[in-house]
Amino acid sequence: MSVMESDPMPVAANGRPKAPKAARKGVRVRGSFVPYVLIAPAVVILLTVLAYPLVDLFVLAFQNVNDYLHLSAPDLVKFIGFDGFSKVLGSGDFWQSVQRTVLFTLEVVAASILISLLVALLLQRISKWAKVTVVTALMFVWAVPQIVTGTLFKWLFANTGGVVDYWFYLATGDQGWRTHDWFADPNQGLYIVVAIAVVWGALPFLVIGINAALTQVPKELVEASKLDGANGWESFRHVVLPVIKPFLVLGTALSFIWDFQVFGQIWALRDNAPEPGYRVLGVYLYQEGLGSSHYSTSAVVSILMILLMLAVLVFYIRQVIKMGDQD
Amino acid sequence: MATDTAPTVLRRSREDDAVGRKRWATPLWNTVALLFALVMFFPIYWMVLTTVKTGKDLLSVDPTFWPTGISTASFQTVFDDPNFLTDMRNVAVITVGAVILGLAVGFLGAVSVARFRFTGRNFFIASMLVVQMVPLISLVIPMFFILKNIGLYDQAFGVILAYLVFTIPYVVWTLRSFIVNIPKELDEAALVDGCTRWGAFMRIILPLTVPGLITTGVFCWIQAWNEFVIANILLSSNNQQTAMVWLTGFSSSPTHGADYGSQMAGALMVSLPVIVLFVIFQRRVTSGLTAGAVKG
Repeated sequence: MSVMESDPMPVAANGRPKAPKAARKGVRVRGSFVPYVLIAPAVVILLTVLAYPLVDLFVLAFQNVNDYLHLSAPDLVKFIGFDGFSKVLGSGDFWQSVQRTVLFTLEVVAASILISLLVALLLQRISKWAKVTVVTALMFVWAVPQIVTGTLFKWLFANTGGVVDYWFYLATGDQGWRTHDWFADPNQGLYIVVAIAVVWGALPFLVIGINAALTQVPKELVEASKLDGANGWESFRHVVLPVIKPFLVLGTALSFIWDFQVFGQIWALRDNAPEPGYRVLGVYLYQEGLGSSHYSTSAVVSILMILLMLAVLVFYIRQVIKMGDQD
Repeated sequence: MATDTAPTVLRRSREDDAVGRKRWATPLWNTVALLFALVMFFPIYWMVLTTVKTGKDLLSVDPTFWPTGISTASFQTVFDDPNFLTDMRNVAVITVGAVILGLAVGFLGAVSVARFRFTGRNFFIASMLVVQMVPLISLVIPMFFILKNIGLYDQAFGVILAYLVFTIPYVVWTLRSFIVNIPKELDEAALVDGCTRWGAFMRIILPLTVPGLITTGVFCWIQAWNEFVIANILLSSNNQQTAMVWLTGFSSSPTHGADYGSQMAGALMVSLPVIVLFVIFQRRVTSGLTAGAVKG
C-alpha cells in the first residue's frame, strides 16, 4: 500500500505527467461568484430532475396512491404514515425479491471480477496480435445494448432452434436436450441464463479497465520482487495487487450497482413479462408500480432499494472521496 | 489500447522475460486467449448470421453454423414495420439532445470544481458521485408524475430532461479529472501574457479539454441510446418511443415472437449506431475509462 499512499496514480491516463500537487490546487477566490455561476446550471437542473423527484418519492411512499383512480382524484389521496412500509416489509414477495437480488448480485459480481481479473492477467502474457484480437472482440461485446443482449440470449438459449441446446445435445447425445427449456425453472433461467448474459456484457469494461491498471505496474518492481525470491503469487499479492486495487474497488462497486438493479436483460429475455420467479428488486418495483398501479407501494420499494444499495456503497464512497481530496 | 512499452529491462535468461515469465508458454496462452475471444464473440456472430439466414436455415432442426444462402427477408420485415424508422429517429433526437445539454452544463461544472476552491465544492463533488448511484428505476415513478403535471409526458423533451440525471453528474465527475490534469501554469502563463480569465479559458482549457469532451460525449451517447426503463415509461405512443422500446415490443409481439431472424435483424439495427461509435472511438473509450475510472 505504501506505493499508493504516496501518490495514487503517478502518471495521468493520457500519459502526461501530473503537475506537482501544490501547483494543482485551485485558486481560492474569496467572495468570488465565478465558480457558483459555473455550477449553477448543473445545480438547477439536478434539483429539478433529481432532487424534486426524490422528494416526491418520499411523499408518495407515505401516501395511499395505490390505484389509477387516485391519480385523477387528488381528494382521495391521504397520508398513511408508515403503513406502506409495514405492508411492504411484511410481504413475503418483497423479501423473496430481496433474497433473489442479493444472491444474483453476489454471484454475478464475484464471477465478473474473478473472470476479468484472470483474463486481464492473461492479456499481459500473450503476443500483441492475440491481444488486439481479444480487445477487438471485447469492444464489440461492450457496444451491445442491454436490451439487445437480452434478445440475443433469448435466442441462444431458445428451446426450439437454440444453439446452446444443440451443443448440449451434441455433447451428451441426449435428444432431450434439443428442446430443453432453460426458462421453465426460474432458478435456472435467472441464476444461469440471465447471469451469463449479464457477465458477458460486463466483462469488456472490467477486463479493459483491469488491463489498463496492470500497465501501471512498474515492471522493475515486479522484477525486483522476483530477485528477492518472491514466487508468482507473492509478487502478485504484494506488488501488482496494490497498484490495481483502486480499479478493482471501483469495478466491484460499479458491478454491484449495475447488477443490483438489473432489469433490461431480464425484461428482454422474458418477453416483457417476467414470471414471479424472475422478480429481482428492479423487476418487482416496476411490476408493482406500473404494472399494477401500486405507485405508493412501489415508492416504498424504491426507497428501501436505495437504502440497501447505499448501505453497501458507503464504504466505497468514502474511499473515493478521500482519493478525490488529494487532487 | 494502452500499449505503453516501458524500456526493456535487463533479461536474466533466454527463456524468461523481464518479469520471469516463461517464453515457451506464450503460444499456449495465445491459444487460451483466442478461445476466450471466440466465446465472447460468438453471440455477436450468431446474431449477424441469424439475420441473413434463409427461412429454410432458420427452421432447420440442427442449427447451421454457416449460411447456405443469403436472405434479406429478415431486414425487409424490420423496415416494413411502421414504427421502426420513426423510433430510430426519436432515439437519435433524444440522444443528441441529452448529450449536448449534458456536455454543456457538465463542462461548466467541471471547470468550476477543477479550477476554483469555494465553499460547498467538496459537497458538490461528493454529490456528483452519490447521485450516479441512485437507481434510475427508482426515480421513474415520480418522474412520470412530474412530467404528466407539466405536460411533458410522452414528449421527447421530457425524456431528454430525465436523461440529464445521469449525463450531468457523469460529465462533471469525468471531465473534472481531465481538467485537473491541465497544468495550472498554462493558465497562469496565459494570464501573465495578458489574457483575460475568459481568454485563458477559451485558449487553454477549452482546446485541451476537447479529447475529454469527445470521450465523455461518446459515453453519454451510448448510455442515452441504450437506456430503456425511463423511455419505456415516459413515452407511451408508438410513434414517440425509442429504438430499444421498439425492439422489446417487436420481439415479444405475437407476429414476430418466434421469428428470430427478424428479431436479430432488429437487434442488430438498433445496436449499429453504438457499435459504429465504439469502432471509431475505440481508443478514446479505453482512455476515457482510465481517466475517469482508474483515477477515481
